[in-house]
Amino acid sequence: MKPRARVDDLVVEELEGETLVYDLQRDKAHCLNRTAARVWAYCDGRTSVAQMAARLGRELGQPIDAEVVWLALRQLDRARLIRPPLAAPEGGVMSRRAAVRRLGLAAALLPVVLSIVAPEAVEGASCNALVGRPNGCPCTLATQCASLRCIGNPKRCA
Amino acid sequence: MAALDRLGWAAGLAFESYGLRLGVRVDRPDVLERVAGILPPGWRSRRSPVVDQLYSFVAGGAEGRMRRFSLAYAGSTRIARTPEMEEALGALASSLRLYVAEAARDRVFVHAGVVAWRGRAILLPGRSCSGKSRLVAALARAGASYYSDEYAVLDALGRVHPYPAPLCWRDEDDKTTRIPASELGEPAARPLRAGLVALARYQAGARWRPRALSPGRGMLALVANTIPARRDPRAVMSALKQVVSSAAVWEGLRGEAEETAPLLLQAAEPRSEVVA
Repeated sequence: MKPRARVDDLVVEELEGETLVYDLQRDKAHCLNRTAARVWAYCDGRTSVAQMAARLGRELGQPIDAEVVWLALRQLDRARLIRPPLAAPEGGVMSRRAAVRRLGLAAALLPVVLSIVAPEAVEGASCNALVGRPNGCPCTLATQCASLRCIGNPKRCA
Repeated sequence: MAALDRLGWAAGLAFESYGLRLGVRVDRPDVLERVAGILPPGWRSRRSPVVDQLYSFVAGGAEGRMRRFSLAYAGSTRIARTPEMEEALGALASSLRLYVAEAARDRVFVHAGVVAWRGRAILLPGRSCSGKSRLVAALARAGASYYSDEYAVLDALGRVHPYPAPLCWRDEDDKTTRIPASELGEPAARPLRAGLVALARYQAGARWRPRALSPGRGMLALVANTIPARRDPRAVMSALKQVVSSAAVWEGLRGEAEETAPLLLQAAEPRSEVVA
């Protein structure tokens, strides 16, 4: 398994070891912590998981199990940031909690990929508007809400 | 649009806002003054009638036993049809502001309240009704300078520009409280670097005990509140990176605005130089 980082249709910004990625195809933004960012950087289509673990260990100054790399790759795969789609190892990939427990790693060293769906502009409409209010705004009439639904007690657009 | 164009338009106004050329035409000249009162902050009148986006407003009202609807259009899309002219004007104002926030040239609009403190901007990102307007009002009362109640307007360097719309919030019973920017101290003029980004979610009875977020997580939180995130992600990512490079990012639950404001100002104090 020698994954390759996806490079097309992405906007990438690096920030003090973290990497922010905007996926132009899916309108999602991802934050890769230091470990996940390192693993993603190793994904050149030529480096094996074992080699990645060795490189990561050298950079972090402590031995890193291949399971940690798999944990990062699984998250990168879910975020569609590597190609081809990941074929997990036999026995599956351990969870973050299991990695902390079994490998004795500090939680800060574990790979994390946080993702959000980028908001649509209309979500920025104001509750102060008389009509077209986004969900969550107080309302008295359904016609005030973009969704045309004003429910609950107190009433809110939903 | 052709059908709209055939209606009789009595007056119009062309203006510029954040690099965009906009126009509003109305069917009654007396309504134009009302329209001018709802335009985005910082608009400037233009002589040329050529615009990027044209809005149309038909003022309704009673004529004998007949009652006409007020109508508002963005381009050819109807955005309001209501017997209440105030409602239609509100929809027009909301649409204009959102269009400018999404399409502004060389500026990135983040949904956030903003005040200035000790020469740095404090950003309070949050969707509508997250309580940021009350917090902005409390910060202004505590001595901070009012910059914006609605959007943090960023340039390519990540500096925050004033957006002095009236401070406004809506209560549970749908009553609106409105405070003109002029009542919140001297008008802000110069752009500032961000010093603090506070992701403060209101919860009754909570106490502000925030945790620091990494720059990456802070930037992700800002993306979630950025109006043109989908339209121009390259400019957005670049500007937000500048913001989190200069500012601390804190996240937490907060209680009442009056209790939280002094804590935020304390946190935003520039760190003292340590002299060896």
